[in-house]
Amino acid sequence: MLFSSITFLFLFLPIVLAVYYIVPYKAKNIILLAASLLFYAWGEPVYVILMILSILFNYFCGQDIRERGDDPRRAKMSLIFALTGNILILGFFKYFPFLMETLNAMLPEDIPYRELALPVGISFYTFQAISYLLDIYWKRAEAQKNILQFALYISMFPKLTAGPIVRYADIAEQLRSRRMSPARFGQGAMHFIIGLAKKTVIANTAGEVFEEIAAMPAGNLSILTAWLGVISFAFQIYFDFSGYSDMAVGLGKMFGFEFRKNFDYPYTSKSVTEFWRRWHISLSTWFREYVYIPLGGNQCTVSRNIFNLMVVWTLTGMWHGAAWNFIAWGVYYGVILVTEKYMWGAILENLPKIVQHIYTAVIVLVGWVFFFSPSLGYAMRYLLAMVGGGAGIADARGAFILLTHWLMYLIAVIGSSNFGLRIIRGAVGSFRSQTAQTVAGAVVYIGMFLISVAFLVTDTFNPFLYFRF
Amino acid sequence: MRKDRVSIARIMKYVVALAVIGFIVLLMLYASGSRKPFEEVEKAVSASLDKESLTEQDDSRLRRNFGLNPADYAGVMYYSSESNISAEEVLLIKVNREDQIETVTEAIEERIESRMNDFEGYAPGEVRILEDSVQSVRGAYIFFAAAPEAGDYLSVFNSSL
Repeated sequence: MLFSSITFLFLFLPIVLAVYYIVPYKAKNIILLAASLLFYAWGEPVYVILMILSILFNYFCGQDIRERGDDPRRAKMSLIFALTGNILILGFFKYFPFLMETLNAMLPEDIPYRELALPVGISFYTFQAISYLLDIYWKRAEAQKNILQFALYISMFPKLTAGPIVRYADIAEQLRSRRMSPARFGQGAMHFIIGLAKKTVIANTAGEVFEEIAAMPAGNLSILTAWLGVISFAFQIYFDFSGYSDMAVGLGKMFGFEFRKNFDYPYTSKSVTEFWRRWHISLSTWFREYVYIPLGGNQCTVSRNIFNLMVVWTLTGMWHGAAWNFIAWGVYYGVILVTEKYMWGAILENLPKIVQHIYTAVIVLVGWVFFFSPSLGYAMRYLLAMVGGGAGIADARGAFILLTHWLMYLIAVIGSSNFGLRIIRGAVGSFRSQTAQTVAGAVVYIGMFLISVAFLVTDTFNPFLYFRF
Repeated sequence: MRKDRVSIARIMKYVVALAVIGFIVLLMLYASGSRKPFEEVEKAVSASLDKESLTEQDDSRLRRNFGLNPADYAGVMYYSSESNISAEEVLLIKVNREDQIETVTEAIEERIESRMNDFEGYAPGEVRILEDSVQSVRGAYIFFAAAPEAGDYLSVFNSSL
């Protein structure tokens, strides 16, 4: 089920909220867990069994690590078993077809194989399970004795299918006890509406432009059209994913949970390092906490630090998908971040801000070409078109797209910084009385909700991009 | 007491690990898709169909009946009856992307519902065919059959993968 679907907005969510707030406090976790399993089973009726098995596996592994806590060697063995189990499950579903495809490309005879659909959200819930196991092993958190609370941590529907990846240590206390209030509910609803508008109004519109351009052979693209294509994708993926994250954070608040923000206006960054501090923060934090620092982080020699960074970024690329273009995308960022850290980072800081912004934008946009390309060959052809190796400087198609979609680009640019939110807050705050401000706020957010629903009902099925990861 | 709990957790983690393996084996047997080219699967399924009651339809008919654009997919095969009072049809689609699966399955559900409304009240035999229709999603392949031999067609589809 999608957050941006009529079924979710007008059936599932109102019913779940009503039941959640009616039942006694003790029953709230059970209601939320049941709703989460139903939410997942709606779209993945078979794979919900896999998720339940994953919950049970990690629950018992967590108990076992706790019980062996007095004996470091045995605790480590137990952790290795648990991590191996998780990585094998994720690896099988996500990387097996890629492995076979790569093998078949190298071997003289094809090895026949069958493949399974990728369970939605498996990368997200597996990473959360790994965070739980490592937090227990490192004694950052107590093993969860209550299986219902643990199942809720893994399967909670606001963050189940596309994150944010919530670390167990951050949420353990909230699973047991959390505060709900009308004010927090209202904040959550506003967050949710902003996310819904980002997805339905901007991301889907930008996505249509991108799909139109991506359907053309890369060699037939003018410089203008090629840049419009990648800029449209940049807006699509940002407003799609940050919109989903806003909805997840908002829903969390409505149910009394606090999730950390996943995006912090990444397109306003002045360096690639800063961009990755602002983009998909929960994934970057996960890799920093559970891979980069255990590898030695930056408390080591320069060569070791470069190795650590390259490992983390190659894994980040692989996390996004089992394809060479994602690996290339990860390695690309690894190289950029290493060079920024050890070569031109200091020089960059002394350049005018506008140059820093342009530098970051170009690097990020080139990165998106690797990300959206179905193959490395296509990525190279597309990059060539961006520098004039396609169909000249500009063409009628590019001009037409620009003329018909300038407003979408303008809204997307404004929405990519906190300027958009400041405009809304300024408009609402311009009224003197508190009552008038409340009414104005309600009008603005209800208006945004109605516009989003209008886009939703006229749109074709449009899932979130990050569902495929 | 503590020792009992330790052993239970330890035993259970292995039991669940075995259950995961068993589940994956079942998925591979009954839900996996193959990398076979669309043409091979289409050939096998098409050869099994009763051509007296089913006729291959063009792209425009698929658009009209299911609201799907054939150009969006890796492969499409659509047979239906030429008679307006027959509910028989067979659809085979190979999707390009996983997110297209839901689009197609929703289109099939809507088609079944719409045809049920068409036949309800005057053609109980056709309603029964629709009620007994079969659907299967195997990897990138989606199969739908509404026909008296729907079960046989499904078996051919499964074995063709």
